[in-house]
Amino acid sequence: MNRRYVPLCLGLMLALGAAGDVEAEELRIATLAPADSQWMREMAAGGERIRELTGGRVTLRFRAGGIAGSDEQVLRKIRISDLHGGAFTAGGLASLYPGLNTYGIPLIFESLDEVDYVRSRLDARIAAGLEQAGFVSFGFSEGGFSNLMSNVPVSHVDDLRRQKIWVPDNDPIAHQVLDALRLAPVPLELSDALLGLRRGLVDVVAASPVAALVLQWHTEVKYRTDLPLSYSMGVFAIPSDVFYGLAESDQVVVRSVLTEVMATIDSTSRDDNAEARRIMESMGIETVPVNRADVESWRRIIEEQYPELRRHRDIDVELFDAMLALLDEFRATH
Amino acid sequence: MARLLGFGIVAMGASGVAGCASLIGSMAADTLTSSILNQSDPALIQDGMPAYLLLVDGFIHESPDNEDLLAAGAQIYALYGSRFSTDSDAAVRLTRKARDYGSRAICEVHDPACAWQSLAYDEFVERLAGVDTKQIEYLYAFALGWLSYLDATSEDLSAVAELPWVEAALERALVLNEAYAQGAIHTWLGIIKSLRPPALGGEPEIARAHFERSLELSGGRDLSVRVEYARRYARLMYEQELHDRLLREVLAAPAVEDGYTLFNVLAKEDAEALLASSTEYF
Repeated sequence: MNRRYVPLCLGLMLALGAAGDVEAEELRIATLAPADSQWMREMAAGGERIRELTGGRVTLRFRAGGIAGSDEQVLRKIRISDLHGGAFTAGGLASLYPGLNTYGIPLIFESLDEVDYVRSRLDARIAAGLEQAGFVSFGFSEGGFSNLMSNVPVSHVDDLRRQKIWVPDNDPIAHQVLDALRLAPVPLELSDALLGLRRGLVDVVAASPVAALVLQWHTEVKYRTDLPLSYSMGVFAIPSDVFYGLAESDQVVVRSVLTEVMATIDSTSRDDNAEARRIMESMGIETVPVNRADVESWRRIIEEQYPELRRHRDIDVELFDAMLALLDEFRATH
Repeated sequence: MARLLGFGIVAMGASGVAGCASLIGSMAADTLTSSILNQSDPALIQDGMPAYLLLVDGFIHESPDNEDLLAAGAQIYALYGSRFSTDSDAAVRLTRKARDYGSRAICEVHDPACAWQSLAYDEFVERLAGVDTKQIEYLYAFALGWLSYLDATSEDLSAVAELPWVEAALERALVLNEAYAQGAIHTWLGIIKSLRPPALGGEPEIARAHFERSLELSGGRDLSVRVEYARRYARLMYEQELHDRLLREVLAAPAVEDGYTLFNVLAKEDAEALLASSTEYF
């Protein structure tokens, strides 16, 4: 057993005595992460600890690699109890709870320090909101900032004018922002973006550097714009009725172990993205700097959209305003 | 990508050898390769192969420009590093040598390949078109050596990043001669195409077609093809029926087959383990 989990497990062992004769529960969990990924290795290890610590009453069984379908399809399968939970992109669960879109608004953050400041104050509120919407979560895992990647250098908004810009087909906020910038988005599924690049259907894509390597976009782009475009994260969530249907002592185990696993995954993402940026550079993908004044002009255009965004049904206004207030607070002191 | 090289990869030849030392080296490589592939006791290979690796190093030291020795070295180091090394650091060291020998082998027979290392993907694919059928043995050794290194370092993001280059080299080899090494190129591509799930742009149906074609080309004698088909494709797609059927076929088949015995014995061991974890996985 990994040393870092020992104190946690000792604490949980104490809770075991309270468990009564509860029927064994198998929780079928869907995830986009490939079976051989670090994410799945961490999760599988967490599942094993849960099995051990609950005396086999709770086991997790994963459907890795997005084989259970899109976030939307997974939600449908959860509704009919074919699945009992999933690891979603924050945006993928936003149809249930728009608060999950809060951090993903384009150009809202200028740095990861700002992200840390805001997340340490708002994550718990978002988790509580999600629970009210019917899902128990166990912390969020950073996906990181997406960057623009393309075959022509992009450092100004104008560089995007004549380009076909990919947006995920299920991202209404990105659509609205691109519209505001008077740019033409080309909606495609994530899995089709590489093909889109190869066939010239799209010229510009955006993802975190790690995601770009996994999706093999680095074989089709020559430039990466060094601009924190939008922040992404993952959510591990189980429907409340399933979670609270477990014995109380088992709830403690599941919550503790999965929270620990998500925290581990959350903390490794930053290094992974730094490493992915280094690899892309070493493979000849040029890093395009952006002029601070230009970024400000991009931001201003998006800020002009704030009244519109506040009315958007995919935005939770209270959280949106709380985030803006926290950002003002951070920027005033840093 | 763990234990990627658990199947019949070794396809060594000894042609156009100049010089006595290299001739002996290549003949030795062939004889030893044959004795390795027909060995039914993996433990003996585990213990005995390091001596063979040293021998190969010695031959290559004597004849550093001999493409056949380099290609043999790449494959044998790839095999040992991937399947028999006892710890992950050793696997990285051994497969790094496999990658190095493979690069040198293709560089010896195809000058432009000496400058492949730093090429962007599209340029690399363009240059691969210059490799002709006579050079397939060295292209194969190059791809395999590199792939074994990526396997050993598969927890690094750089392995994820470099995989498309290896895939492209194997795609070129496939165009040159799809039946090379009794269809092993198809198996490699089947494995690689099973690494990315469809939701992330992977093409599992192409992976399946590669595995099926490999089974046809090998006449089903290489049991490790079925094992990889089950381990990669069937598990990726959560097709338990296919998974269990393939593995039961492996367990029912004889292990002794000229040129495949070692891999078949290993395949049977893997098949048992995979079947035992089938219910838990699916």
